[in-house]
Parts: sequence; C-alpha cells; structure tokens
Amino acid sequence: MTLLAHAIAAAPPALVAPDGLRGRPLAWSEAGDLGLWATEWAPDLKLERPDALEHHRLVERICAAQPCLPVRFGTAFATSADARASLDKRAAALHEALGRVAGKSELALTLLWRGAAVPPATPSAAGPGRQYMEARRAEFAAREARRARAESMVETILAELATERQFVWHETCTSENVAVSLAVLVPTQLVHERKADLERVAAGFADVTAVLNGPWPPYTFARID
Amino acid sequence: MKELTAEDTSLLELVDRLLNKGVVLAGEATISVAGIDLIYLGLNVVLAAVETIEKTQERRAS
Repeated sequence: MTLLAHAIAAAPPALVAPDGLRGRPLAWSEAGDLGLWATEWAPDLKLERPDALEHHRLVERICAAQPCLPVRFGTAFATSADARASLDKRAAALHEALGRVAGKSELALTLLWRGAAVPPATPSAAGPGRQYMEARRAEFAAREARRARAESMVETILAELATERQFVWHETCTSENVAVSLAVLVPTQLVHERKADLERVAAGFADVTAVLNGPWPPYTFARID
Repeated sequence: MKELTAEDTSLLELVDRLLNKGVVLAGEATISVAGIDLIYLGLNVVLAAVETIEKTQERRAS
C-alpha cells in the first residue's frame, strides 16, 4: 500500500473526517511529536487532474483542524515506516516551519497588466537593419520599464502592509500577462482585514488588474531549509 | 497576448502552489507516483487551465 502525502502536523492528530483522496482512508503516520496525514493509496491507481484539487481541499480541511504544513502534491511513500523515517530526518526543520505558519493563512495577489507593452515606434526612414535593431532595443526597453514598474508596485505593497519580509514572497513579470505574483502570510483571524488592505493598495495601480485569492493553506511558506 | 481572466489566474496560481510549493519530503518520490511522471501530470493540469483560457477566448470572439 502506498501513502499519498497531504500535510504534516504536530502530534496528537486533530479530529479530521476519515475520508482521504477519492474517499479512500485518510491515515496518520506518527514519528516522535510529528505526524503525516496521507491517503492510503493503491500503487496501480493513476493520479488524475481532479486529484490535485481534491488534495487542496483535503489540505484545507486538515489546516482548519490544526496547524499544518502542506506537502507538495504527488509525494508518496511505499510504507508508513518510510514516511516516519522521512519526518524523523527533517524533524527540527519541520518544527521550525510549523511554528512559522501556525495560526496563519496565505493570501495570493496577482497583478495582471492591462493590455500589451507598446514599444515606441522606430523611424521609418531607417534601413531594414537599423529598423530591426531599433525595434529590438525598443522591445527590450519596454520590457525593462515593465519590470521596474512591477518592482515599484511590490515596494508600495510591502510598505503599505508593514509585514515582515519573511512573511512575503513575490515574483515579477513571470509571463507577458503577469506583472506581480505575491503571497503573504497573515494571521488567520485578520484575513479579512488584510484582504481589504491588499484590495485597497492594488486599486491604486491604474495599469494592472488585481486578482486576490485565499485564504489558502500556507503552501508558499511551508518550505524547509 | 492572451488575456487572463480572474478565474484563469486563480486556477493557475493554485496549481502552481500544489505542484511547486509545499514541503518536499522525498525528492525521488515527488518525481513519480504509481509510475506517473509528475512533470506530465503538471503539464496536464496546466493544460486544463489553458483549455479554460482558450474556451473563454472563443466565447469572447463569438
């Protein structure tokens, strides 16, 4: 029997509905004062698209019951002993990460550019070689201007949130559409206030559309070093 | 450039977290589960999101 991992929590386990992925049993594998929530999976069962979203709902359910660290979707162990050994090996780092996310939830803010970047026109009197090079230079300048603008929006958000940097993660210009992808870890009881803060700050940026998601389990902040 | 809707963006952000974030407990175990390559699975999930985007574009165009 394979164990398909969902989340790590401190022992003892909270009372969680016993249904795992696709209604299969949800198991708790305990190692010292930590434990792993996992679905009892069959090695011949293939993971499908809906399983990823069901994993998310399971992690949400577990995190609502007790502080937990989401495990990357698709992590599996051949036996419960393997799972326990893996927890044992990383116990100190897992405890530290659990302490970081306890009582907190993740909010995700994505800023999407309104329209495509428009590089300045090149002089039509120039020869084809010159026109090509000028066009390349203009595209590069437009891209760099967007990157600088995205970074300045991030700085504004960070200043407004007044949150410790360790509780904020961001990337800029990850695709043509995306200006900023930002995650912030906030106290769960303040989620609504922090969402309102993010909405208010993002509304001040005229060149992007804001998409706000969460509260989610602390996926982005569950890393262990 | 394809325009992302709020719904597309939310799905892509979530899928990115499920596949790329969270605790990595066993490097080798995250590569495949029951013989399914997760890179393929990831592509599959992202493809699902892209299909949604394309359908939205088609609806707008019609």
